[in-house]
Amino acid sequence: MANDYSADVIVVGTGVVGCLVAEQALDAGLSVLMLEAGPRVERWQIVENYRNVPPRFKQNWNAPYPAKPWAPHIESELADATTDYLQLEGPNGRAYRQGYVRYAGGATWHWAGICWRLHPDDMRMKSLYGVGRDWAFDYNTLEPYYTRAEYALGVCGPSEVELQWPPLPRSKPFPMGRIPFGQGEQRFTEAAARVGITNLPAPQARNSGVSYDGRPPCCGNNNCFPVCPISAKYDAASALPRIESKGGRILANAVVYRVETDAKQNIQAVHFFNPNKETQRVVGRLFVIACNAIETPKLLLMSKDERNPNGVANHSDQVGRNLMDQPKISAQMVLAEPMWTGVGPVQGSSIMMTGQGAFRSEHAGAMLRCENAALSAVGGLAALSKGLVGKALDAEIRRLSACTARLTIEHEILADPNNRLTLSDKKDWLGLSKPNIYYDVGDYVRRGHQEYTLPLLKKLIAELGAVESSIATTFTNSDHMMGSCIMGTDPTDSVVDVDCRAHDHPNLFLPGGAAMTTGGCGNSTITMAALAMKASDAIVDQLKRG
Amino acid sequence: MLLSPEISAQTLGAVAPEVSSNFMDVSSLLIDHHLDPEVGARMAAAMLRINPEIAQDIGAIIDIAKKKNARIVEDFFADIPEGRLKDTALAIISAWYTGVVENSANAEVFAFETALMYQPTHDVMTIPTYAISGPNGWNAEAPALGDMPTF
Repeated sequence: MANDYSADVIVVGTGVVGCLVAEQALDAGLSVLMLEAGPRVERWQIVENYRNVPPRFKQNWNAPYPAKPWAPHIESELADATTDYLQLEGPNGRAYRQGYVRYAGGATWHWAGICWRLHPDDMRMKSLYGVGRDWAFDYNTLEPYYTRAEYALGVCGPSEVELQWPPLPRSKPFPMGRIPFGQGEQRFTEAAARVGITNLPAPQARNSGVSYDGRPPCCGNNNCFPVCPISAKYDAASALPRIESKGGRILANAVVYRVETDAKQNIQAVHFFNPNKETQRVVGRLFVIACNAIETPKLLLMSKDERNPNGVANHSDQVGRNLMDQPKISAQMVLAEPMWTGVGPVQGSSIMMTGQGAFRSEHAGAMLRCENAALSAVGGLAALSKGLVGKALDAEIRRLSACTARLTIEHEILADPNNRLTLSDKKDWLGLSKPNIYYDVGDYVRRGHQEYTLPLLKKLIAELGAVESSIATTFTNSDHMMGSCIMGTDPTDSVVDVDCRAHDHPNLFLPGGAAMTTGGCGNSTITMAALAMKASDAIVDQLKRG
Repeated sequence: MLLSPEISAQTLGAVAPEVSSNFMDVSSLLIDHHLDPEVGARMAAAMLRINPEIAQDIGAIIDIAKKKNARIVEDFFADIPEGRLKDTALAIISAWYTGVVENSANAEVFAFETALMYQPTHDVMTIPTYAISGPNGWNAEAPALGDMPTF
């Protein structure tokens, strides 16, 4: 049976990183087999699932993605058996309740499409501010890979350098111009300007005004998460068929549970369970584990053997450590004047400058943004709860839908080896260990929030003209998982090298968020994608050299 | 989502025609907007399952409206006594506005794009998954709150 499943490159995980690596390898003439723990679905099914979610639960972005028993993931807020999949502990365990999807395509299905690059200073935290770690290379090294990733995903963005982030020369312009603001983002931009900060149009993996890569332009369905109904956003439903058209094979419902090494510490095979709990072995020349910063270290830790008693790729004892996200604080308010969010895509801008500054030697910076989701259901439910009827009910729905606004702060966090994923004693449906996560956002973030971002948030709330406001007191997840297989040049304190190759295993690559050394405060995806491009070059080069 | 045979029978076939008719009558009195009778028939059956005595409540609410010669909800809502009857009236209004009759994560959704709570903003705000503009066809001009669309 082993020969049924073999290829030059075996990719475990079918999210954005796995898809990019697979396509680069196929384009270079290599054979590729992808393995995905969860099911393969079509777009219409997810759209229908979403429409059939009751309104009070529609903002649980995982609700349209019911977990299969063999591939559990969290279904946030829903009282379902899978809610206990992630075992969370520590002072801020709740803030690591990550809403990723174990479906073919991974979180590409329900990401917001936002593509902020890191700022060069984000990559030199130790040198500049004496905190965190420095990346093993600088921004200029990463820049060409960012550009390649932007063209691979189809990222739109502004042409004016002062509206770009970072505001530095680019090797190529964005493939498409920016998406225009709707009313809500325009009002937020104007309010921010009045308090002296700049709200930037976000680069987005979403087609702006034109078709790109066979996908149509965005028509403002306001449903980027949990699913774009028309594929204007880069996601699995457009990426996976293209991979197949190039000869790639995709095996869904294949839960990889073991990475097999040989005496020379080369990876020989991966083993997976199918939904009948039968196990099969997949051989290849080179292996890529791209299952996000939770599932990747979990798999490596589950794969311990005689030569690797701490788990595969883990002689440094860093696998599973340094977990990062962007601890989030949300605020909801009702304004005196209408804001009218929900026009255009669900997110389209952010304040990035608040993440930079000399203060980073003392405390965290953050990104601040206005949610652009349509709040008609929120306004409707709130108005109904008042017991109104008739014209008064309609007027109150319109007022609360138009005047309700949500602001979000996403803080940068430092890599801390104590923020760690280990294997829980609790088992899932297949008998595999559930992930256990200890998480403390740390004083760096807490100070940043109390002394810096909370006052900024209050200023923005006042400037917008809020008549009511409520600011959350608990940090929550941003779904930007990073750091658990951290990159570095020293094999004793890092897991992968500058190409995301495991220090311990010459034919094992761990590209993506898990490899990131710092995360800054912007969404992590385009950096993950750039690392996938860099790793792809190394993979192709390594295999072509034989 | 396909309905199971059991649910199909309950929601589409099992409700007595007079209950369905009364449900539409009381709904029309409580809500001054276009209401789809097919959605109403399914909702009536679902509400009857939850509250088997709803038929009497509906009859009582209709009687109150008749006594006032009411044409719209504002004409008679204040006359509905607090308690069970008012709760039933609000539950019927809520069902048409939200598209569900239960507050449960697994509740059946009877209406999404026609759920009335999306209509007071349909001139501006997209009902998620539907488009009201073409490519990049939106702008930053905000309409007045008072310009209520008709629906």
